[in-house]
Amino acid sequence: MKQLVVAMVILGGLVSAQSSVDYLGSWSLNEAEAELIEVCERQLDITVNYTPFSGSGVADLMTELRGLATARRLPDVFWMSSGFVDEFAADGLLYNLQPLVDRDVMPEAESWNTGAFDAARTPNKTTGDMHAFPVYFVETIMYYNKDMFDEAGLDYPTATWTWDDFLSAAQALTKDDNDDGLIDQYGYYGFGRYAHVESWVYQNGGELLNAARDSFEPNEQAIEAINFMNALINEHQVAPQPAEMAGLDNPFHAGLAAMWIDGSWAMNGNRDIEGLNFGISAIPRGPSWQEDIAYGWSDMVAVSATSDDPEAAWDLVQCLAGPERTVARSGTSSIPIWRAIANSEAWLEPDQLPDNKAFLLEWADNAGPNSFTPGWGEWRGYVGGAGLQGQLDEAFNGNQTVEEALAAATDVANTVLARFYR
Amino acid sequence: MRYKAYIPYLFLLPTLLGLVLFSLGPTVASFLLSFTEWRGTVLPQFIGLGNYRELLSSRIFWQVLRNTLAYVAIYTPATVAVGLGLALLVNQKLKYIAFFRGIYYLPAITSMVAVALVWNWIFASRYGLINYILRTLGSSRPPNWLADRDTALYVLVIVSVWKSAGLPMMVFLAGLQGIPKNLYEAARVDGATRWHQFWYVTLPMLTPITFFVLIVTLFDAFRTFEVTFVMTQGGPLNASTTLPYYIYQNAFEFFRYGFSSAAAYLLLLVALIITFINFRFRSRWVHTNN
Amino acid sequence: MRSQSDIYVPHRHTKQPIKLVLQYALLAIVAFLMAFPFLWMVLTTFKTSGNIFRLPPSLIPDKLFGEDPFGNYRLLFSDYNFLRYALNTFVVATLAALGQIITCSLAAFAFARLTFKGSRVIFGLLLATLVLPIEVTIVPEYLIALLVYEPALQAIGLRWIDSLAPLIVPSFFVGATGTFLLREFFSTIPRDLEEAAVIDGASVFAIYRRIFLPLATPALITLFLLAFITNWNDLLRAVLYIKSPNLRTLPIGLALFQDEYATQWDLLLAGSVVTILPLIIVYIFMQKYIVEGIATTGIK
Repeated sequence: MKQLVVAMVILGGLVSAQSSVDYLGSWSLNEAEAELIEVCERQLDITVNYTPFSGSGVADLMTELRGLATARRLPDVFWMSSGFVDEFAADGLLYNLQPLVDRDVMPEAESWNTGAFDAARTPNKTTGDMHAFPVYFVETIMYYNKDMFDEAGLDYPTATWTWDDFLSAAQALTKDDNDDGLIDQYGYYGFGRYAHVESWVYQNGGELLNAARDSFEPNEQAIEAINFMNALINEHQVAPQPAEMAGLDNPFHAGLAAMWIDGSWAMNGNRDIEGLNFGISAIPRGPSWQEDIAYGWSDMVAVSATSDDPEAAWDLVQCLAGPERTVARSGTSSIPIWRAIANSEAWLEPDQLPDNKAFLLEWADNAGPNSFTPGWGEWRGYVGGAGLQGQLDEAFNGNQTVEEALAAATDVANTVLARFYR
Repeated sequence: MRYKAYIPYLFLLPTLLGLVLFSLGPTVASFLLSFTEWRGTVLPQFIGLGNYRELLSSRIFWQVLRNTLAYVAIYTPATVAVGLGLALLVNQKLKYIAFFRGIYYLPAITSMVAVALVWNWIFASRYGLINYILRTLGSSRPPNWLADRDTALYVLVIVSVWKSAGLPMMVFLAGLQGIPKNLYEAARVDGATRWHQFWYVTLPMLTPITFFVLIVTLFDAFRTFEVTFVMTQGGPLNASTTLPYYIYQNAFEFFRYGFSSAAAYLLLLVALIITFINFRFRSRWVHTNN
Repeated sequence: MRSQSDIYVPHRHTKQPIKLVLQYALLAIVAFLMAFPFLWMVLTTFKTSGNIFRLPPSLIPDKLFGEDPFGNYRLLFSDYNFLRYALNTFVVATLAALGQIITCSLAAFAFARLTFKGSRVIFGLLLATLVLPIEVTIVPEYLIALLVYEPALQAIGLRWIDSLAPLIVPSFFVGATGTFLLREFFSTIPRDLEEAAVIDGASVFAIYRRIFLPLATPALITLFLLAFITNWNDLLRAVLYIKSPNLRTLPIGLALFQDEYATQWDLLLAGSVVTILPLIIVYIFMQKYIVEGIATTGIK
């Protein structure tokens, strides 16, 4: 019997000397992915069975992956979101890439944006093993409307701006054009969304989670940051209550707010708005600031724990993230992990807004913690349920205090987290 | 009619085949899953009635159930009534009536995702069309329709009725066209006014259709999802979350398949009770040829 | 028995001009209310992107006076393969709707006119499938597809996943709404019609085929439209089952303009208009038959 198996394996090897790797795409990829795969196949002398993905977001992709995981049909290589890598790794679905990264990537670490690697570490974000490999890094930054700054005679924001600098600029930028008591231009716009809140929290040295990352326990600095956001809206009135902007797709795009903090992914959307002359800058530093911390995470690819040929899969992973993922094959709104491409003119787009796009790369070097945990989508979430976002919005709307909002959010978050860490 | 006992089953064959092949498996599976904790990554874990217990002791679930019942109670009669009204309007022999029928059916075929952009603008707080009108009329603080816990659900009802009235209209129209004209002539000979004709001929003849429309609209109400998804995402603070959206959220955003299955079976239970009551009272008001 | 002249046409006797004006005015006001969001959407596709969210909202479709008023529409077909998507969607919607007409009318006839054991139970089960949200059943359904249908069909050289079949076949076979709709229509058909046929010695199938189907033409067409539209817009199944870009349907094409990070509103709106237009055409074409259906199928 044993001999038979050996003979079959040898025979199989003779028939196809090439390794074959199954690869499932992601919602963020375009038609150029097939072209990249051809290049990788040639370079690595492997066969890649590529399945494009038809869904349109992380949730769709995760649904598909869960179906495949249950059916024991996970492809060798697939895309993984920072928000779910902990859960998938804890469930034993992801191949531990750390030894391979140490062997093949770290010797030429300067070619890669290794600051982005932390998002792939699990369970601990600084000391854990990488269970996925980043392809892009995304981060939040501050967008500002240059024309509004010019009109108000203000200097543009700098990387060392403090909250006081920010507040006085926001006050100067807030105006009621026709004195009808309704403000026509706000200095800032933000609500309970993760990209908005966490940006302020981290630039004040805050943390939303405890050290073990298994409980929602915002520290003093985090609460200070949330109170500052609330004061911008309800005390200084330099930012609108979220409810006032309900039904409007984006107040920054509509020319109703001079500053806006959101992800680097919003760059292309800003460019599409004709007449929007915008720049980018750092998130202002809070009173408890110690060092610049960029709130960011990675879009990654992972290797299945059940892959027949993890080495071949790993080769493909490096190719997907490496120098062959040119700007044409990746787009310009996320930061490529391969530094040479991030530094290329094609990616920096000197003829496009903002004129300081290279700042994205500088800021990315400050990559710090994030708030992702298993169940993150439920307690933090993209939508306004009863999690942190929904509670904070009701506080910013003046319907409850920040204290009440955080108490309610703590309740929800820790119920969710307890399901994973009991 | 005389026929062998197996004949009816031949008529049902495709449906039965379809039910067994495509519905039975997933339905039974999701029922079994409702007794498990399952995220789809590792095998389901049996937890008995744990999900049901969690649901029934969850404040959010009861809030969502209340929202659902309120939604159903307003949406269902409103949609049936608007559908009937539209059908009566376009059941006139006028030039270009086909054009109007097309227009009235337009919302039913419009993609909600795109048209939500417009509806959001209509109901927007500060920069919306309705509040622009209200402010022009002198209201200093018009409601924050979509962002207010007291109004969000009702905005969804309005948009849903707009979106869904086309189907009842079409079904009622087909029903109206099928009412034999001689019934009206007989009524007119008896001196019935137009209102009497409507009340004593049109409505009774439409009752089977009305029953169908009522049940289908009721089911529709218990499945409402898209409008919530594109307009409020259940917010603020779950004030506009109804059960179907809650189920969707738990399955497709929180990946709690077992829990969301349990919620779905509770929804099924509620819907079946209401449907059963409707079927119970069917013979009281539905006119058939039996 | 019934003929053209028997069809009830209300208000035929009133032709006073003032009344006519009022009738059209009412029709027009309601039409405006129903069509406004759609019209605004169409108008928006002819605004430059900077103008979409401009406040106060601009009524002027500034793009129409620009260099490339139909630019977004052109992009859909040149860069995004919407013609292919439309073709796939058409195949899916047509086959699924045809299937519904056959399956549902057969089942509805049995439920409305035949007596058999289990009639109520089966009908109840069918209705229950209407309530259970697809969100709950889709994941088990996909698993069954992965583990059962796909291997079974692959063994005979066919595919289930990444084919149009899972979008067509299930709705081809089961149509709870349709069965219910036709059951109600069939139950309004007078008993004496079929009794006459029974005396003539017609078989049960012949009664279904020659009496019930023709009389229910408006309902059948209503059902076809309904099923066509439902399947035309189905996204959830399509997202899971379709992988190859050349098998994508229109709802997938639209969803791709919206992702986690950004929405391409201009393309999404133009794409929606393109998605709706065929439905409007199908509707206008078919609604004629809904109305004429009864009139032309008098039973001799």
